[in-house]
Order: sequence, then structure tokens, then C-alpha cells
Amino acid sequence: MQLNPWALTGIVLVAVVTPYLGHRSSRSATSTHDFLVARRTVRSRRNAAAISGEYLSAASFLGIAGIVLKDGADALWFPIGFTAGYLALMLFVAAPLRRSGAYTLPDFVEMRLGSKGLRRFSTAFVVFIGILYMAPQLQGAGLTLATVLPVPAWAGAIAVMIVVAFNVIAGGMRAITVIQAFQYWLKLFAISVPAFVLCMVFFAGGGPDGFRPLGAAAPPVFTSDTTVDVQTDVTLQVKTDTFLYAYGRTDNGPAAGPTHWTPLAPHTVSEGTKLKFLAGTPVPVVSDSVADNANWLHPGSGSLTDLLQTYSLMFATFLGTMGLPHVLVRFYTNPDGKAARRTTVHVLLLLGLFYLFPTLLGALSRMYVPELLVTGKTDAAILQLPSAMLPGVGGQILGAVTAAGAFAAFLSSTSGLLVSVAGVVSTDLLPGRVRDFRVATVLVALLPIALAVGLRPEDISLSIGLTFALAASTFSPLLLLGIWWRKLSWPGALAGMFVGGGLVLIALVVNVVSGYTGGWAPWFVNQPALITVPAAFVTTYLVSRVTGYGRPEHVHDIMLRLHAPDPLGFMRDRAVARFGQAEEKTRLPGRGRHRK
Amino acid sequence: MTDWESVQESPEFTELRRRLRVFVFPMTALFLLWYLLYVLLADYAHGFMSTKLFGNITVGLVFGLLQFVSTFVITGLYVRYANRRLDPVADEIRARVEAEPGR
Repeated sequence: MQLNPWALTGIVLVAVVTPYLGHRSSRSATSTHDFLVARRTVRSRRNAAAISGEYLSAASFLGIAGIVLKDGADALWFPIGFTAGYLALMLFVAAPLRRSGAYTLPDFVEMRLGSKGLRRFSTAFVVFIGILYMAPQLQGAGLTLATVLPVPAWAGAIAVMIVVAFNVIAGGMRAITVIQAFQYWLKLFAISVPAFVLCMVFFAGGGPDGFRPLGAAAPPVFTSDTTVDVQTDVTLQVKTDTFLYAYGRTDNGPAAGPTHWTPLAPHTVSEGTKLKFLAGTPVPVVSDSVADNANWLHPGSGSLTDLLQTYSLMFATFLGTMGLPHVLVRFYTNPDGKAARRTTVHVLLLLGLFYLFPTLLGALSRMYVPELLVTGKTDAAILQLPSAMLPGVGGQILGAVTAAGAFAAFLSSTSGLLVSVAGVVSTDLLPGRVRDFRVATVLVALLPIALAVGLRPEDISLSIGLTFALAASTFSPLLLLGIWWRKLSWPGALAGMFVGGGLVLIALVVNVVSGYTGGWAPWFVNQPALITVPAAFVTTYLVSRVTGYGRPEHVHDIMLRLHAPDPLGFMRDRAVARFGQAEEKTRLPGRGRHRK
Repeated sequence: MTDWESVQESPEFTELRRRLRVFVFPMTALFLLWYLLYVLLADYAHGFMSTKLFGNITVGLVFGLLQFVSTFVITGLYVRYANRRLDPVADEIRARVEAEPGR
């Protein structure tokens, strides 16, 4: 890829301003309490921007446009599910969880069920989810950096992790809140401005080659002579007889000149091959994406498998959001349950606003950067679209803006995850002093780097889907039943997490193996939530029924605390027990429990 | 600490819990139904979903966007409900607890 100096400038700016903001606002952060929950004084609107900033990860910024480019209207599920997850969170979990006074998911587990063993078990899953969620962020960062700079993909992953870890160590959560809020607005700017400009270009006559219709039954067409360098082995399909020039290896044989592909069978292309298409040639697409535009435009393909897969995805996003550690930890920074509710409303609005744009850009990509369908690198759509539609400096600057926004996305979601996972590790596995938090940060940062560099970069949104499935199969039964059903027992919760989480982890391993050996795995391995979530719920329910001894003694008090209205003052901070002095010190005047 | 039980048994608290449940569970059922129905239509009612309203805008796309709208509407309704129907009861309980001696 060619060097884009504008994009480099944008990325460097984001990478410098972020730690600067963190540093400026972190001078006052001294105690563990400050680090973890930002003293619970963060205002709800800023908190909402911060939650959204943290939530809008690589999957949202790059992945959605990429999937829209590839799968068309089917991809609407992702943004719909991502917002619907917040609805579930608000209705069922936000306020009671805030009232529980727990900091982290394991804290909640111990508070509700009083079992230390279960607490450690859930800590393990928080760490799993966090690391699984961080790996695709880092891969996205690698992709972005490799698009604008002649560096290998792993360099971006490591660069992002270093910036983030430095920042987390320097400032903790308080700093992160300011940064996340800033990054939400940055991301919104970075995606809306290019979307507006490119839409204007589109309606004004449609970029370098004129207007291109999208509703036609034909596949997208190359509008100028195009050479594609295939960088990883791909299998392509064509809809009509296609003539092209290939240099390298195709269909398991050497190729060096004109060739002819039929729609009868898929065609394999090996790494390092150059494919040259003349203007007017229909675009071959990677074999798992939608080949023609008419099909691309309406959701669903009519097969039962698709229906089940979509339901499975919806299950995962609807219930998984509440189990994401970096989302939950944010709600503890609300002063009370009512503020938690208000925050969620703002979050939903901010998210809905944001998701309009990647969807729009994905649709434009289908028309202007169809060559990404050949290489399968659809996640780069947003990055390459501006220069494809607007050749020259204008396109380069817009490209720089999107690259900087994408970088902000990796930085913010990675730092949110790192803070929450390191927080859990330092309080649960280490003694919980500030220094331990720093040690934990470094330790936790190393694992996702290994995963991101070691594993095949799959479509960013899809691997995020699996992470949501893991969260939905482990923590959502625990949270929902824990808050709404008093007969939940700790053996039941343990069994449910074991079954749900175990099944998803098995699916994950099978998925990786299948990815390396020809992709034979059936749909439920890719998107297991439809099976694993009910399995986890049923297991939790049945085991709780037969293990009445595992219910905590004061279950009535606990339930009252979860559901009692905030002004009652039943909300006691666990922090009083753990970080007593810090809590006293940070209680602001005029914020007593009976003052509202 | 000891008045927790009395609060829990009070009719106001029961009413509060009831009001919350009466809103939250039917609303979720409604939302899920509408959500699942959309996918079902998308997969099996092709003709209907690809009816063109204008230009390239099909019924399917409009329904997809309406999914977002319904999320916002439910959020708005919940907040309104919480402010009007839940918080007053909560305040009542609080007033009662604070009026009790020994607290």
C-alpha cells in the first residue's frame, strides 16, 4: 500500500492527544478507588459519551461497513443487535446492578451468592471475554496501519497496545472516562464527515466514473482496468463467464496470462497472484459473500440455516452486551440507579446516531471499492473508500480522517477492556494495591497481542460475534436470574457458566481449526449463542432447583437491596469494606445518602 | 438494618415491584416478537420485503430502520414510566422509612 502522509499525521495526533488528555486529568488519581471507578462522580452525559466511545470498537467502525459491503442488508443485524443489547441492559440490569454496589462482575457474584469459588470462576471468564474482545481490536489496528503505511500488520497491533497500556498505567479509569468521551465525538466526526462528503459526491454525479446503480441483478462491475494483488489464499466465485488475466497460481495450477472462469465451480487463487480485470468485467467475490446486487439489497436468503444463524446472532448481541466487562464497569461510575438509567438513554441515542454512518459507507463501498470483495479484505472498506471516490488530496484527507477515527476506536475499546480486566485481575488475583493494578495491566496486555499476531485475521465483526456469544452464555444467565429470581444457588450459577462458557469455548476452538482446514464447520460453530444461551439458562435453573442449600442465607436482604429504590439508602458500597478510607475521602459534601 | 424486612413486606414495596414487572416483561416480549418477526419476514416473505417503495428503498430496509426506531421508542417509554409510576412510590417508601423512629 502507498504511504498516505495525511493518514499518518491523523493517527499520530490521536495517539499523542489521548495520553496527553489522560495525563492532564490523572494528576488527582491516587487511590485504588480513584483508579477503578472514577469516584462515582462522573456526570451522566459525559459518562454516556464515554460508554459509547468505549463500546464503538473496531467492529463498529470498520467491521459493520465491511460486512455491509460483503453481505448487504443481512448486516443490519449487527448494528440493530448492538443497540438492542443496551435496551436489555437498561430494562433488566442497569439500576439493580448499580444498587448492588459491586464494582465488577465477580464482585456482583460474590455479593449475590456469597461464594468465593464462584467468584474466582467468574473472574476467569471476565478475563477470557476481555482478551477475546481485545484481539480483534488489535487486528483491526494492524489492518489500519498496514493500509496507510508500508508496515506489517503486527506492528499496528503492538503500537496500539503500547499506547493503551501506557495510558492505563498512567491514569486509570478517571483519565479513561475523559478520553472515552472525547473519543466518541472524535469517532462520530471521523465517520460522519466522510459519509456526508462522499454522499454529496455520490449525488452530484458519482465520483470518477459517474453514477452506478445498485439495484441491478448483476454483480458489481469493475469500472476501470484494475489489478488486484491477492495477499492471502482465497476462493472466489463468479456469476457469469468471466475473462481475466492471472499471473501466479490459480485453480491449483500455474497461470501467466488470459484465463476464463466459469460460474460452475469456485476458483482458488494462491497467495502472491496478480489478477488483472478490464473495465466492465463483473467482480468475482469471495465464496462466502453475496455475489449479486439484488440479493445483496434485501436481508435474508430464505434458507433455514440463515434464519437460525441470524437468530443466534441476535441472541448473542441482545443478551451479550450486559455481560461485557468493560460495559458494566462503566455503570458503576453512575452516582445512583436513576443516573444509570439516564445514562443508558443517552447511550442508546448516541449509538443509534453513530450506526447510521458505517451502514451508509458500506453501501457506497459496494459501488466504489468492489476489488475488496476479491481480496476478502472487506474490513478495509471505510479506509479505502474516500480515495476511491475522490482521487487527489481531498480523498487523502478524508481517508486520513477515517484512519484516525478507526485508530481512536481501537484505542478506546482496548483501553476500556484493559482497565476492566486488569482491575479484576488486580483485586482478585493480586492484593489490589495500585502497584498491582499496574502489574496486572502489563500482564493482561501481553495475551491479546499474542492472539492478534498468532491467529488468522477473520472478519472483525464475526469474531466479535463470538465474544458476545461467550458473554451471553456465561454472565447473562447469572445476571438475569441473579437479579430476578431468588432461588438461584451458587452451584446452579456455577454449572450454568460451566456449560454455557464451555460450549462457546469449544465452538471457538473448532472454529479456528476449521478456519485453517477448509472451513467445514457448520453454522452453529460460527454463531453458537442460539444453543449455548438456552443451555446455560436451563442448566442454571435445574441445578439451582435441586441445590437449595446453595442459596445465600440473607437472600431477602440482598434482593431488597437490588430492587429497593435508590433514595432508601440501602445502597452500600463494597468499597467501604475494601477501600474504606478512600471511600470516606471521596464522598463529596452534600452527597449524603439521604440527600438527593 | 432491621426494618428491611418490614419494608420488604410493605404493600408499597410489593406495588413497586409489581409495577416494574408489569412494564418490563411485556415490553421485552413485545420487542423480541417484533425483532424475531422481522427476521422471519426477511427470510420467508421475500416478495413482500423486496417490494420497492421508491428508488432502491424496499419494505425490508424500512423495517430494518424501524427496528432502531422501536428501540428508541421503548427506551423513551421506559424512562417516562420510571419517572411517573416508579419514582413516586419509591419516594413514598422512603418518606415512611425516614419517619420511623430509630433510624
